[in-house]
Amino acid sequence: MYQLIQFISRKRAFILFALLEVLSLWFFYSVNNYPSAVMFNTTNYYAAKALDISNSIVEYSNLRKVNDDLSDENKHLYEIVEKLQAQQSPVSQSGFNYKADSAVAARFKFTVAKVTNLSVAQFNNYITIDKGTADGLSPGMGVISSTGVVGKIKSCSEHYSRIISILHSEYTVSAKVKSNNEIGSVKWDGKNPSIVEMTDVSRYKNVRVKDTIMTSDFNYVFPSNIVIGYVSKVGLKPDQTFHDIKVKLATDFSTLSYVYVINNKLEKEQKALESTDSEVKK
Amino acid sequence: MTPRNIFPQILTFIFYLLLQIFFVRQLVFLNHAFCFVYVATVILLPFDISRVQLVFLGFIAGMFIDIFYNTIGANAAAMTFIAYIRTPILALLVPQRGYDERQVLSLKSMGLSWFVSYVMILTFVHHFILFSLEASDFGLILPILVKVIASTIFTTLVIVIIQFFRKD
Repeated sequence: MYQLIQFISRKRAFILFALLEVLSLWFFYSVNNYPSAVMFNTTNYYAAKALDISNSIVEYSNLRKVNDDLSDENKHLYEIVEKLQAQQSPVSQSGFNYKADSAVAARFKFTVAKVTNLSVAQFNNYITIDKGTADGLSPGMGVISSTGVVGKIKSCSEHYSRIISILHSEYTVSAKVKSNNEIGSVKWDGKNPSIVEMTDVSRYKNVRVKDTIMTSDFNYVFPSNIVIGYVSKVGLKPDQTFHDIKVKLATDFSTLSYVYVINNKLEKEQKALESTDSEVKK
Repeated sequence: MTPRNIFPQILTFIFYLLLQIFFVRQLVFLNHAFCFVYVATVILLPFDISRVQLVFLGFIAGMFIDIFYNTIGANAAAMTFIAYIRTPILALLVPQRGYDERQVLSLKSMGLSWFVSYVMILTFVHHFILFSLEASDFGLILPILVKVIASTIFTTLVIVIIQFFRKD
């Protein structure tokens, strides 16, 4: 017993080192899997408050850019208003007399939030915003900015939420090519924070540089036709069956200031319906 | 550590942590070079501090930074590790006349070449562990190495520049 105590006291630095190292690694590999563990990240109240203060200092230098973005967005919204007014003629151009049910047409609810913290150049990037469960947000909701897709909410505290941005190794968005409606998925390869990769597009489909990549219609979290980016390079995958498409992101993540959180009010209904459908098939 | 100099030590420790969170966090050079100036919390602790204290302080500093970087555990693991290997590294770099017990660990008292090589070794180890943990994919070994080397140079530069503003 005495020898054991002597051993521990002689090796106490190493023992402490080993314990803390194992503890850190255990945190690193397990805590990320529990979104409810908000104590140790930027949704923690005190951490977020501190970041708020530091951000309010930087904010003024960004105002010009924010103004530009807002006026751009205004322009974009006017365009949509114009288009919708034009479509309201009794018979639409396509010939179909389709009119979405008002509940479906208005299924997306938007919440504006301010970015309090963000990273762009790590291998897994997160963004923290200043709205949380108190404002009706919950994990899983999509997030866009005035310029394009941003990401998806991963965890919420009462007044803050943490978003995994599209620049995250575990995040994939269902996307389509605007010119020919070809479906694929967009994912970041962890290298350049302004370029993402689009996969699953057959090589026999025509995709050109500068085509617009948008969110597809088969999406629970995002409305369709939200811009993700523009094709910057088209190559061929090693397996020779798919295009290897590089997409330049439309959103500049390093100057992101305001984002819109999208709440799809009918998501539950749609998912419930689809899951019962698949059971019937069996 | 004697009670006489423990208070300035604590202030220095907190200073580097706050510097990291409020100012240096935004500094990214060409998307590759990051500055983790807070490694100075452990690197610049006095010579006569015990190894147990070192490891403990390293863990605390890493954990604190992790909260703000959303990388819980990664910085803590890297900091604990460099805190533990600091003693052997110091033994490796020992100058010919040995260390003076009361000597201060600073640029002025140790000389530029000793100081830079000492800071660079520990910073490199720290950044290598941190970026490899975050990437957790060996296909990315090349981008990791580029980031590690660029960031090591950046961090070392900032730590050395801050040393010029020290009085002792």
